[in-house]
Amino acid sequence: MVKQIFLGLGVFILQFSLVDFLSIKMIRPDFLVIFIFYFSLINGSYKGIVLGFSMGLLCDLTGVGSYFGLTSLTLSITAYLSGFLIGKYERLLPYLFHFLWISILTLHFFIISYVQFQTLFESNFFDFLLKFIFTFGYTMMFFIIVQFFFPVKEASRAKIS
Amino acid sequence: MRNLYLFFLKYKDHFIFLIFVFSSTFLLLQNDNSNIHIIRGKFSDKFSIISSPFAWMRSMSKLEEETQLLREKNIQLSLKMESMFNANEEYKSLLKLLQLKEDSHLELLAANVINSGSSSNLSSITLDIGTDRGIKVGQAVLVSEGIIGKTVIVGKNSTVVQIMNDVNFRLSVRILPSGNAGILRHLKDDICEIRELQKNSEILIGDKVVTSGFSQIYPKNLPVGEVIEVFNERGSFQKVAKVRIKAKLGSLLHAFIIISDLDKIG
Repeated sequence: MVKQIFLGLGVFILQFSLVDFLSIKMIRPDFLVIFIFYFSLINGSYKGIVLGFSMGLLCDLTGVGSYFGLTSLTLSITAYLSGFLIGKYERLLPYLFHFLWISILTLHFFIISYVQFQTLFESNFFDFLLKFIFTFGYTMMFFIIVQFFFPVKEASRAKIS
Repeated sequence: MRNLYLFFLKYKDHFIFLIFVFSSTFLLLQNDNSNIHIIRGKFSDKFSIISSPFAWMRSMSKLEEETQLLREKNIQLSLKMESMFNANEEYKSLLKLLQLKEDSHLELLAANVINSGSSSNLSSITLDIGTDRGIKVGQAVLVSEGIIGKTVIVGKNSTVVQIMNDVNFRLSVRILPSGNAGILRHLKDDICEIRELQKNSEILIGDKVVTSGFSQIYPKNLPVGEVIEVFNERGSFQKVAKVRIKAKLGSLLHAFIIISDLDKIG
């Protein structure tokens, strides 16, 4: 557990300090959601929610997130929902499993985009959609890299194996 | 009680989720609260210790690129400024010429200077108009500051003008307000001297020098320059005055040729 907390801190520092280097037109990758997703998938919802909320709060406090409480909310939701996928890879159809974890991440980014760009959502839905897709897509790029080394189905199986 | 505890324990995921979702939503709704701003500000200060080395690295990595960009911008702006200054100077010069043409009682013809100093033994400029516009040999040429010379060779489309700094150029002038007349010739740069002045004439530094009107070429009272020095020549019955001519002979771009004096015609 201590090891995982340190890993969490490492991810937070990575997010806090290095993310600006990877920023493209103000769109930044979200490493926290990748970490919390895997963490919940391995350790369960309960620990995931606690860590997600804490890291989200830390992230919001340090000014990385623009709305105070938003990151903690979305990371808690992601952790909660990810917990349901534990051991589900073998019980569900593979494409349904993949659809579900992608949906969880989509929901995370949709909530963030909706709160941050709510004016755009009302005035120009197409622009909002573009922003949402780019934000989601950019983090997904990194997610796919992580997925290459540590697939989601492996993480899902990790607890029961 | 134990059952309740076990119930909470069994569904702790859901409870903790609900608690945190409510807490987050509450915090989200408190975004405008000043206390939240203070807390965030304090945390941001503390965490800036972590981010400052990275910010420094980022700044250093962009420094060279920015310097290069600034150098380019600097050169571009310098050139632009130079071009604007030149345009402003040209605008002022053209405005003066326009004013001269409007105010003058002379019939003037504007011309561009297309060449300068083409003859080896004559200080001259070449203008872009000639006989096709009615130009003849022996017509006065001036700019807004005053007389600069006379036409000496006239072609169909061009005219060579002997300018004041030619060694053979002479001009009959009058010094105002005393009214003494003399002959002006070039000395060096923008300095000319007037000879043939009466020794008892009262000439002061700063007096205006204008054309006398004795010449067939130059109408009277056209500005020439200003007296900068007056002295008596030893062994002579004449006075000599040094004059600074107003026209900048080295940088002429436009000039007027006097076609006729309307006062004389009238």
